[in-house]
Amino acid sequence: MSVEMSDDPQATPRAIEGRAPDVFRPGGWVPMRCHRDEDAVDFVIVGTGAGGGTLACKLAEYGFSVVALDAGPYFRPLEDFASDESEQTKLYWTDDRISDGANPLQLGSNNSGKAVGGSTVHFAMVSLRFRPEWFKSRTLLGYGADWPIDWREMWNYYTEVEQALKISGPITYPWGPKRPRYPYRAHPLNAAARVLAKGCEALGVSWTETPLATLSAPRGLAHPCVYRGFCVAGCSTNAKQSALVTWIPRALAAGAEIRDLAMVGRIEVDDDDLVSGVHYHRGGRWHFQRARNVVVAGYAIETPRLLLNSATDRHRDGLANSSGLVGKNLMTQSNQAVWGLMDDEIRSYKGPPSLAITEHWNYQDKGKDFFGGYAYMSQGPLPQLWANTLAQARGLWGARLVEEMTNYNHVAGLKIVGEMLPQERNRVTLADEVDQYGLRIPRVTYSWCDNDRRLIDHSLAFMTRALEAAGAKDIWTQDDDTCHLNGTARMGDDPRASVVDADCRSWDIPNLWICDGSVFPTVGGVNPSLTIQAIACRTADRIRAMARRGELTGQRATGTRTAAHATSASS
Amino acid sequence: MSNDTDWLVGAGLALSAIAATAMLQPRPRTSPSPAPARLPPRTGPHPRASVRAARRLNRAAGMLAASVLADSSVEHYRGSFKNKAMVTPLAVSALTLAMSAHGTADRRPWAHRLRDGSYLLAAATGLIGTGFHVYNVTKKVGGFSWQNLFYGAPLGAPMAILLSGLLGFCSERVRDTSRARRPHVFGLPAARTIAAVTAAGLLGTSGEAGLLHFRGAFHNPFMAVPVTLPPLGAALLFNAAARDPDDDATRAHPLTRAWMWLLAAMGFIGIGFHAYGVSRNMGGWRNWSQNILAGPPLPAPPSFTGLALAGLAALGLMREHPDA
Ligand SMILES: Cc1cc2nc3c(=O)[nH]c(=O)nc-3n(C[C@H](O)[C@H](O)[C@H](O)COP(=O)(O)OP(=O)(O)OC[C@H]3O[C@@H](n4cnc5c(N)ncnc54)[C@H](O)[C@@H]3O)c2cc1C
Ligand code: SF4
Repeated sequence: MSVEMSDDPQATPRAIEGRAPDVFRPGGWVPMRCHRDEDAVDFVIVGTGAGGGTLACKLAEYGFSVVALDAGPYFRPLEDFASDESEQTKLYWTDDRISDGANPLQLGSNNSGKAVGGSTVHFAMVSLRFRPEWFKSRTLLGYGADWPIDWREMWNYYTEVEQALKISGPITYPWGPKRPRYPYRAHPLNAAARVLAKGCEALGVSWTETPLATLSAPRGLAHPCVYRGFCVAGCSTNAKQSALVTWIPRALAAGAEIRDLAMVGRIEVDDDDLVSGVHYHRGGRWHFQRARNVVVAGYAIETPRLLLNSATDRHRDGLANSSGLVGKNLMTQSNQAVWGLMDDEIRSYKGPPSLAITEHWNYQDKGKDFFGGYAYMSQGPLPQLWANTLAQARGLWGARLVEEMTNYNHVAGLKIVGEMLPQERNRVTLADEVDQYGLRIPRVTYSWCDNDRRLIDHSLAFMTRALEAAGAKDIWTQDDDTCHLNGTARMGDDPRASVVDADCRSWDIPNLWICDGSVFPTVGGVNPSLTIQAIACRTADRIRAMARRGELTGQRATGTRTAAHATSASS
Repeated sequence: MSNDTDWLVGAGLALSAIAATAMLQPRPRTSPSPAPARLPPRTGPHPRASVRAARRLNRAAGMLAASVLADSSVEHYRGSFKNKAMVTPLAVSALTLAMSAHGTADRRPWAHRLRDGSYLLAAATGLIGTGFHVYNVTKKVGGFSWQNLFYGAPLGAPMAILLSGLLGFCSERVRDTSRARRPHVFGLPAARTIAAVTAAGLLGTSGEAGLLHFRGAFHNPFMAVPVTLPPLGAALLFNAAARDPDDDATRAHPLTRAWMWLLAAMGFIGIGFHAYGVSRNMGGWRNWSQNILAGPPLPAPPSFTGLALAGLAALGLMREHPDA
């Protein structure tokens, strides 16, 4: 009863005393199994986004005891989300960070979230599979690094995630190997999407409806999409199939505990070089949760930051860092756009922002002067974002900005998600400054390479032609935007050249795992969340298989370490 | 836009022409006070049976027209009556509904000129409407694609008013030939012709429901009902239509009749399911003004009821007229 004192999810934790918010009912609650700090649980997971949320669900369903901590609040979208861009900045990770390099990243809204559900709470729902060759891009395409996973295995995990999120997509997908039918049908195209389609048809390349993680028909208590376009400010209808309304409720039902407003500051390592739990800040003080395994899933900046911040005398460079690669090979994705004005009203903000897509340049290798690929999609910026874009990218202000805003309803745009190459100089390190918890803040260093630039130039030239062909006038290019964060703890076959193995298990510490966008060796030209979730599903299956064979006891199957911690997994 | 206006004018002219021809057609036998002496001698069963069947058909046509009236009002309102021709189905279905009500009440054994004209108008509207809808779908980027079939103008929808018109027209023929040895439509045995038309209508309507329920990913298992029961009903009706008319033992068709009642009920229960579907949209019924447009169409399922009633009328006629 004392829990009713404050219901500000950003001020007071909600998931306490045996219950967690019911995301489907205003003011509602669901029961939650709780663990005591001193009881070692099978898995502590740091972060509840695409990686952590998915893994928490799957591991709990496999019978492991799970506590998943998130630094962010536990929202009920139906009552906590406003149709107001400014209000919804509460979804972003805006803690202090230093951003530098030749092309410093703009951190916050377009790349990181802080909430139970992680960045998926305000992501744009585009749910794409990798091109199969990208899993072996070094061997097959001559750039980047190979993944230690076969694409055919990933194909099955993609299917699992698409089913779990009831992805709505086209009946037939024009590119890549056959995939099963999407569980829900594609959404109706808005006028902005039809501009993309017209451009593609004029230039003779395929296009299709974008597979999206938002409902085109009801699902349980979640409503179908209402096409109001607030997606990247948080979806207040629950149509968006974020981790918050999909994996997390399943995780709770399966017995996982979620702790909101719980910032993990350090992972504890014992004298046997095994992790034993995490120190986390919640309700104004530090706690220590004991665990047999720790999974880090804080996304590509917070994950390496936590590993680096957990350095000890025996692990001076941070945990899992014998390769020296923790924090390195950070990859964002190019997010350049071409904008123009159409004679007809477009009202591009009606509906999810990216209803139509072409992956032509992901699958076509001829005619490229660069490695990698890009997809481009139709756009639907909300007014405040659009005014910001005009101010920043075109330097408009005052009367000129106001005048340009009167064209808002006629704007159509095409925007890429482009592959950037992994470079060790693009990295996350620790700055000397500390944040509100007294933890050293991350320094994010980013510079494009020539290949990145060539890809961007190619895309801008192609999209300009496409937009012209669709009948747009006053075309201009926005050439500095980036989105998504990956890398910084890459997976691989070689302990000297990677941080984790194919199972997301760290090479150095067998009961420390990393399961989020950080493990990507390359990013490809598609948005990453479907792949992150597929990896998490695979990791859960691998963990279950290892537990059954007794290989989770702090020991690798082929390793020489002595067992120190037994896992009590029941499955 | 001028293109659309041309369409509108053309369609309007065509419709008036058809209606005018139908109404001006001389009809001596339908004069208000026909002398009983001029009636042809009775050779078959009592004409009352035919008139009863005809009235049932008027009722079925009215049911379909009501469904079209409600459905096209909602859907074309949703489309903001962007093209002026979009009011046509409202006007025509309203007229057809009124005429059908008139026919249902009318016990006289001869066709009615105004009803006949309006039924032909309805049928023509259905045909032309289909043309409009095909045009709407194919002119969209992507052309004849799933996207446009799902979200463009529904290709099957105008068929409902076409069916209403056809059934109504058949009804008038049945009345007109009620004193003949056997009721017929253009020389074809009436009951079996109507059964076949109704069966085809059931298949088409079921196809339309199938397309839209596929769009909804059959997310509720009950969404499979209107794509399984009606085709079976159509098969039963076709079977009845194809039976040897002289075989007295098979004229009752109890299973087919029961199936038609089942479909009639399904149409009404479908409204309930669609109402539930509306409630599952954001805001539920409290937000009715938006959700009636966003959710599954409430007036659509009763078109099955209309067709089932037509099937029953045909079966009734078949039972009473061995040769119909
Ligand atoms: C505006 C926007 C649009 C996007 N659109 C798309 C899209 O359309 N399609 C797509 O595939 N991807 C999209 N993405 C990217 C996608 O959301 C991310 O790639 C994905 O969510 C990353 O998953 P993750 O598990 O690695 O991290 P996240 O989902 O970000 O989850 C990390 C969580 O960890 C928590 N955390 C971090 N550190 C700590 C700590 N020390 N202690 C406790 N908790 C911690 C954070 O609060 C956060 O909730 C978008 C992202 C943004 C920001
Ligand atoms: S457009 Fe759809 S997915 Fe986006 S916020 Fe609105 S309801 Fe949610």
